[in-house]
Amino acid sequence: MEANEQVVTGEQLLNSKSTKRIKIKTLTKSTIVIRITMFFLVLLTIIAFFNFDYKELDIGEAMLATFANMKAMFLEPHFKHFTFTHALHQVFVTLGLAFLTTLFGAIIAVFLGLLAAENLTSKRVSAVIKGAVAFIRAVPTVLWVLIFAVAAGLGSVAAVIGMTFHSVSYLVKAYSESFEELDKGVIEALQASGANFWQIIFQAVIPSSLTYMISWTFLRFEINFAVAIAMGAAAGAGGIGFDMFMASNFYLDIREIGTITFFILAVAILLEVFATKFKKKLKVNG
Amino acid sequence: MTALLEVNHVSKQFGNDSKALSDVNFTVNEGEFVSIIGPSGAGKSTLLRCINRMIDATGGEITFDNMNVMNLKKKELKMVRTRIGMIFQHYNLVNRLSVIENTLHGILGKKSTIAGVLGLYNQAEREQAVRILSMLGLGEHIYKRADQLSGGQKQRVGIARALIQNPRMLLCDEPIASLDPNSAKTIMDHLRTISSQMGITVIVNLHQVDVALKYSDKIIGINQGQVVFNGSSKDITKEDIQRIYGSEAEDLIFDIGGIHAS
Ligand SMILES: Nc1ncnc2c1ncn2[C@@H]1O[C@H](COP(=O)(O)OP(=O)(O)OP(=O)(O)O)[C@@H](O)[C@H]1O
Ligand SMILES: [Mg+2]
Repeated sequence: MEANEQVVTGEQLLNSKSTKRIKIKTLTKSTIVIRITMFFLVLLTIIAFFNFDYKELDIGEAMLATFANMKAMFLEPHFKHFTFTHALHQVFVTLGLAFLTTLFGAIIAVFLGLLAAENLTSKRVSAVIKGAVAFIRAVPTVLWVLIFAVAAGLGSVAAVIGMTFHSVSYLVKAYSESFEELDKGVIEALQASGANFWQIIFQAVIPSSLTYMISWTFLRFEINFAVAIAMGAAAGAGGIGFDMFMASNFYLDIREIGTITFFILAVAILLEVFATKFKKKLKVNG
Repeated sequence: MTALLEVNHVSKQFGNDSKALSDVNFTVNEGEFVSIIGPSGAGKSTLLRCINRMIDATGGEITFDNMNVMNLKKKELKMVRTRIGMIFQHYNLVNRLSVIENTLHGILGKKSTIAGVLGLYNQAEREQAVRILSMLGLGEHIYKRADQLSGGQKQRVGIARALIQNPRMLLCDEPIASLDPNSAKTIMDHLRTISSQMGITVIVNLHQVDVALKYSDKIIGINQGQVVFNGSSKDITKEDIQRIYGSEAEDLIFDIGGIHAS
């Protein structure tokens, strides 16, 4: 790639008396390819809009109707089939589901993560666990919930098991990678003084990885909150997601959907603010 | 003087490679200061780690304090390790923990698993840690995080962690290789004091011949896994240095002459 770059020295640019502007980017093979690709993508998008099968739909009218719906949803939210306290309660149910599955996942993942870290166990054990976990992670959480629903029936039990399952696989990867960051010399030093495996884990490995572990766990908690909303609707796990399902599919009340969306948004923002503050504090102290 | 450590016919082979150590023999007395010198890849680190079984030797016999180190069970090996401190070139501290926490890591081997896991140290142990740190000139840095220290200070924490074990012997793998001359001198002076005043045997891997000659009672020279010199630092000659480092040691010879003259 670099061999294709035109070599122009600064002197040549300054000496050439022409009024040519100095370019900041030089044309390399990769920039040309990127530009051509972008051009075709834009072209295809425009062509596509002319070739859609609009049936009897007038695009202008449809867009206006969508805006009207959006306006109703977000500017005129109301409570009809439930009250404010009920909604708050349901948000906490959803948060509870996210918290519980993250907690279960984190506890199991710490132990599996230790086994999956190459510097703490053998290469083979590590490879087996990482492989299994990669497979579990490749299947979406929702699918795992539905798979467990076969045995446990659709509901909160299947949701808890399925979400925990996926959280474990996600966190094992994150944790084991942060454990592997620890210099093997530190482990050697403690081994040489006669410390045993668990002492080394709790005195050296975990203290060194704690900030990473907390960051990843928070991230998973945010993911689990989003999944928990979906599970309320898709797997009947209860919480605010179920109310959303009822509002949209049963009562067809878009204003109520707006209310729920605002509730979820508020919680998501609160979580984000809390997580950022907490991480900052950890960076200072930890 | 009694022999604390005896190394007899020790050899080590990694996989199918040529031998990292072959038929190594030497004894170290109680309270002695011994330097192991030799070119890169000679097997110095390997030898040091065979002594506390961080690496298992393939043949021979190692006796520490009248115990055969080679066929100890797991529990007995831990016991022996608690009495041998180890110091490293890269200090190997837990960066996120404080100086005193790192120091107290030295006694984990003597504690129960649960007390170690929870980091429960009693008052006497804490006082001992503070005393050792003050002795090493780290009295003001007790609560600093290990990664906020300079290299020389980190190495002193490494020494404190080894000393709190109340060891009979210290194994030091190139303790001054990453330090500037001043910090290096401080560290070597501390090690010398530990050996002469506390009666702790010190074995040091070194790359600096002049430092080795200045501080040691005894020098062990290793080349390609074999002991090629074993004797007092006063008796070492140009030819010995040449034998240890191979024929490319012309420049070193000049150094030696200077040191013997001073
Ligand atoms: N884990 C290992 N696996 C395979 N070979 C090894 C291993 N450790 C050391 N060796 C080999 O053993 C020989 C001695 O290595 P060692 O690290 O003991 O040398 P050294 O004298 O400490 O060198 P340096 O001064 O560079 O630290 C080298 O040839 C090295 O390649
Ligand atoms: Mg070495």
